[in-house]
Amino acid sequence: MTEYFPLIMGVALFILMIPVLYRIWVGPTGFDRILGANVIGTKTAVLLVIIGAVYDRVDMFVDFAIAYALLNFVSAIVVSRYLNRTISLKEMEAREKKAKA
Amino acid sequence: MNGFQFIAASAGSEGGSLFPLHLFGMFLGFLGLIFFLGTAVGMMRFPDFYTRMHAAGKGDTLSTMLMLTGFALVTMEDFSLGSWLLFVKIMGVVLFIFLSTPTSSHALMRAAFEDDEMPMTEEDLKKSRKRGKKK
Amino acid sequence: MKAASMVPVFLVGFLLVFAATDFPEWGNPQSPASDSPVSSHFIGKTGVDTEVPNMVTAVLADYRGFDTMFETVVVFIAGMAVLAILKNSVKKGSVRRDHEVDAEPDLIVTNMVRLIVPVIQIFAFYVLAHGHVSPGGGFQGGVIMGASFILIALSWDLETALARFSLNRCMGVAAAGILIYAGIGIFSMFLGGEFLDYAELERVLPVSREMARYHAMLGVEIGVGCTVTAIMFALYANLSSEGKLEGGL
Repeated sequence: MTEYFPLIMGVALFILMIPVLYRIWVGPTGFDRILGANVIGTKTAVLLVIIGAVYDRVDMFVDFAIAYALLNFVSAIVVSRYLNRTISLKEMEAREKKAKA
Repeated sequence: MNGFQFIAASAGSEGGSLFPLHLFGMFLGFLGLIFFLGTAVGMMRFPDFYTRMHAAGKGDTLSTMLMLTGFALVTMEDFSLGSWLLFVKIMGVVLFIFLSTPTSSHALMRAAFEDDEMPMTEEDLKKSRKRGKKK
Repeated sequence: MKAASMVPVFLVGFLLVFAATDFPEWGNPQSPASDSPVSSHFIGKTGVDTEVPNMVTAVLADYRGFDTMFETVVVFIAGMAVLAILKNSVKKGSVRRDHEVDAEPDLIVTNMVRLIVPVIQIFAFYVLAHGHVSPGGGFQGGVIMGASFILIALSWDLETALARFSLNRCMGVAAAGILIYAGIGIFSMFLGGEFLDYAELERVLPVSREMARYHAMLGVEIGVGCTVTAIMFALYANLSSEGKLEGGL
């Protein structure tokens, strides 16, 4: 059982990521897409540990997982900071339409 | 330390497959999967951004922490220095995710709120229900 | 049209997955990549020559040290080019772009960054110094270190980060990184070897020839890490504010 555990977890995680991917694809607003990408990024850190467990090199892959979680955090802060600093997305679209017309 | 040696010895005699620590780790891992199922369903079905953020922010953090803790316990084969180091490293990832994921959720939520992304009100819900009935 | 564009995506994806089944198994010693004379030479000799367990680091910093040195120089030149283009292109204090609004730093984010940044920097040092044994090294450690400064600039504003790591100091650190790298090479030249022949450092270090290469690799990685950290932050500071060095993202 212990040897199949990482494999089962990995496959289940992959299947459960599909609804989140759907939200990235469809997502009515841009924020939904960012949120979905953030969730998948967090789960990728788990997936990296799982890959390490499958190849019996967890000590190596844990470092990747930390670095990935860190960069995921930085990316979320970047996006939210950019949206905080600029006018709202709706207004930006309205201005673009005005510029075209 | 004696207790640990005793547990390790008893694990060796059982072949290692029914080690209680591993069983507990697997239980935590599957519990994390259940919470992530909640996150996925919430992301699919909730009507507006803030409710989806609610599902993603809570379920994602808790499920990641549970799964990683489970893996930290499962990879703990013997109580040598190397495996303790690995355990501490994985718990470091857990701590980092415990701090960083809620913060990024908060930052995203605030960005959405200041971008005039309006939460869904009861009237919106009624309208969408009526539209659903007409169809 | 959007649906039609999915057809080639899935076709190519299927072909790639189909081709991936032909790959040799993970860690297979008989695979063509590890069967060639070059790879077998490195696989056989790395541990004997340098006592470094991670062959990638040994090849990167020792066997191909000349290549890596000029990679670092390329990173440095990229930073200099961005600085040269953006430095005087925009007047300071000029009008704000019309899609920007004022935003205060967020309380929760700044306090969390205050907690996390020291941990990130310690992790960066760990990645840099542990590159011999596990994956890592100068480039990766430098990127993580640079990310910590970028995180400060993001959560407060660019001025706060520049007060801690000003642009002049950035360029100084970047140049110092290359000087450390080239200095180790030239020093080994003075000791009687060739350029970047680390084994000659045994005359000044109280270790064997193999361990001298091991320790010299660490010094080289530190040089690379300094350059990458400084250039990462300088690039962010200049590109996010269009050379004005205020406000930022």
